[in-house]
Amino acid sequence: MTNEGRRSALKLIGAGIVGLAIGAAGGLTLAPEKVREITVTQTGPGGATVTVTETKTIREAPAARLPKDTIKIGLLLPKTGVWAPYAKYGEEAAIMAVEEINDTGGILGAKVQLIVRDELADVVKQARELVEAEKVDFITGVISSGNAMRLGPIMPELNRLFILAGAATHRATEELVYKQGIKHIFRLNVPVYYEGILTAWIAKDLPVKRWAGINPDYEYGRVSWDLFKTYLKKLRPDVEFVAEQWFPSPGTTDFSKYLSAVDAAGAEGLFTTAWADEAAGLHRQAAELGYYKKFKAAINPMGYTAPVFYALGRGYPQLVNGMWVGARYIWFYPPTSINKRFVDAYVKRWGRVPAYNSEYAYTSIYVIKAAIEKAGSLDLDALIEALEGMVIMSPVGVRWIRPEDHQAVHESIIGRTSDEVINIGGEIRMLTDIKAVPPLFYYRSPPDWKVPMIDR
Amino acid sequence: MDLSPILNQIITGLYRASIYWLIASGLTLIFGVLRVVNFAQATLLVLGGYMAFTFYAITGNFWISIPLSAISVGLIGLLSERLLLKPIYKVEATYQLLMTFAIALIINDLAKLTWGKLPVLVPLPDILKISVEIFGRSLILYVILIIVTGLAVYIAMALLINNTMWGLRVRATWRRPEIAESLRINTSTIYSSVFFLGCAISGMGGALMVAFSPVAPGLGDFLIVSAFIVTVIAGMGNLLGAYIASIIIGVSESLFTLYLPEIDLLLIYLIMAISLLLRPQGIFGER
Repeated sequence: MTNEGRRSALKLIGAGIVGLAIGAAGGLTLAPEKVREITVTQTGPGGATVTVTETKTIREAPAARLPKDTIKIGLLLPKTGVWAPYAKYGEEAAIMAVEEINDTGGILGAKVQLIVRDELADVVKQARELVEAEKVDFITGVISSGNAMRLGPIMPELNRLFILAGAATHRATEELVYKQGIKHIFRLNVPVYYEGILTAWIAKDLPVKRWAGINPDYEYGRVSWDLFKTYLKKLRPDVEFVAEQWFPSPGTTDFSKYLSAVDAAGAEGLFTTAWADEAAGLHRQAAELGYYKKFKAAINPMGYTAPVFYALGRGYPQLVNGMWVGARYIWFYPPTSINKRFVDAYVKRWGRVPAYNSEYAYTSIYVIKAAIEKAGSLDLDALIEALEGMVIMSPVGVRWIRPEDHQAVHESIIGRTSDEVINIGGEIRMLTDIKAVPPLFYYRSPPDWKVPMIDR
Repeated sequence: MDLSPILNQIITGLYRASIYWLIASGLTLIFGVLRVVNFAQATLLVLGGYMAFTFYAITGNFWISIPLSAISVGLIGLLSERLLLKPIYKVEATYQLLMTFAIALIINDLAKLTWGKLPVLVPLPDILKISVEIFGRSLILYVILIIVTGLAVYIAMALLINNTMWGLRVRATWRRPEIAESLRINTSTIYSSVFFLGCAISGMGGALMVAFSPVAPGLGDFLIVSAFIVTVIAGMGNLLGAYIASIIIGVSESLFTLYLPEIDLLLIYLIMAISLLLRPQGIFGER
């Protein structure tokens, strides 16, 4: 395809997405029910008729009564250890969603109750307890890829839906849902396609030929780096990968030896999937040791999550050809009213901007609501049928739940750090050159797991 | 062949080695004299980092926070020796090891309560960000400061132990505590002062480290393994041995990162296994 052709293809895809969005806007949106003005005629004292304009919340009559008056949702997140502060952003947003839903009439008249458990205290045991002792109707959350792969296979036995919101291994949807046919799992977040493939589109246009990786030494880091190498090589065959370094995670606080090793290999560009505190530590040390004056560019797909930009503040480094950082969802994008409402409510309630996992946790509660309302019951098969192919407007934008592998398809962005620093609950260095890449450019899709715009 | 990448990697390794040494020195000194394996040594280094964070917040001065952290960590060490270890010196050594493990856990959780779960950091002073050219590579002063501090700590400890009256008493206690006591050396005071010194050095190490790499709950558990390996390779209780072993571990870790990153994590265990097979008493151990 020529460049011209590609551009028109882009337009088409864009139009398709807008179409989806409009379609969705008419259907399901993740806003609480509208508060509408109504006129009520009352009989006043002495028999006088008074017309009063009252503000009342209007609800549609429940389409179907549920067999119970409380829907319980089990949320699994790291409550202990180094990831706990990170996971807090998710818990806060889930609490917010539950409050919003309960304040506007619940789900088909039923109240929602959230039960939070620590996924690091044996995720399988916690999930069993949630289902058997707490009698939850749904399970959501799970940030660790390892935990997602442990919990996924036992979902048929637990006989509940698992709305996965966080963990990024592509295997959860490609293998567990598509190959093994475990229909109980639905994933709301973009998997490592974002880390490994979207970033290849960015790297392709940078004046960097010699790339090196410093990645966390477990599934997430290894898979992302492999995808990045594979797809960048396809998009731009003249690049070289000169060094790859693996740091133990969680637990690494000193990155000096990895940085000097990739520098010794003559790297011009650095790719890292370090996240949370490790991302902040790596960038700070690379800047202090002077490596960010030598490297031309750096790419850190999860470098723009709230804990990282708050930790670095105005000290977030800039590189000559860009410090390219992102997150699966970034609070200022897209500029839709639903996103603005979500961000404003979050900032007001918690005093800081939401992280990407806040959006996922928040949306997961609303997705459960949408599924129940569409299915009209808590019947598992009906819920699965309701969710497959569902299109939802959410803060991150349009989400389409791909029926084959239950993977939600949504747009994510990446940008480079700019000169602008703002302050919302702490200093945030803003991004510029925002690249909003349509999912077709980086989502692998069934049945052969190719990326439509690359592997043709 | 361009040697500058290797030399640069060696310097990075020396920096790392110096951090290991600031834990291992206290560990070695305390084990040598008290025969107590102090499991809390690395936790005290991390505590030093936290203390520096607080002292920096109060004084706004990086340099003042270092001695303050060293002294306060030394005092906390002294207090735990007096209150928790002293009563159990007469029983089996295992109990003392367990007690230091308990101290590590307590400090860890108290740190979590006091400073929270997020990592904390002190900004690196501008003067330490100045880079100098060494072997054609630029190096910031901070890295040089840490390496020099490591060496200075070794020299100071060697002088203190070999050339002072206090050192003579320490050596006597180190060799034969019963005979030292019969010579009217108050071994109890020696124990406490050695414990104070060993902990203060680690506290200073933590205060220096926190300007570059943050401290967080549980970091001590991560560092203590390397420090133990250093002392085992050196031969428990040998200061020069521990200094050299720190350098061997730090530099080889760093070089392997450059040439064989895949076995980087395995490396220190490999060095330990080989050295224990060849010299079970440690490279510099006696017997």
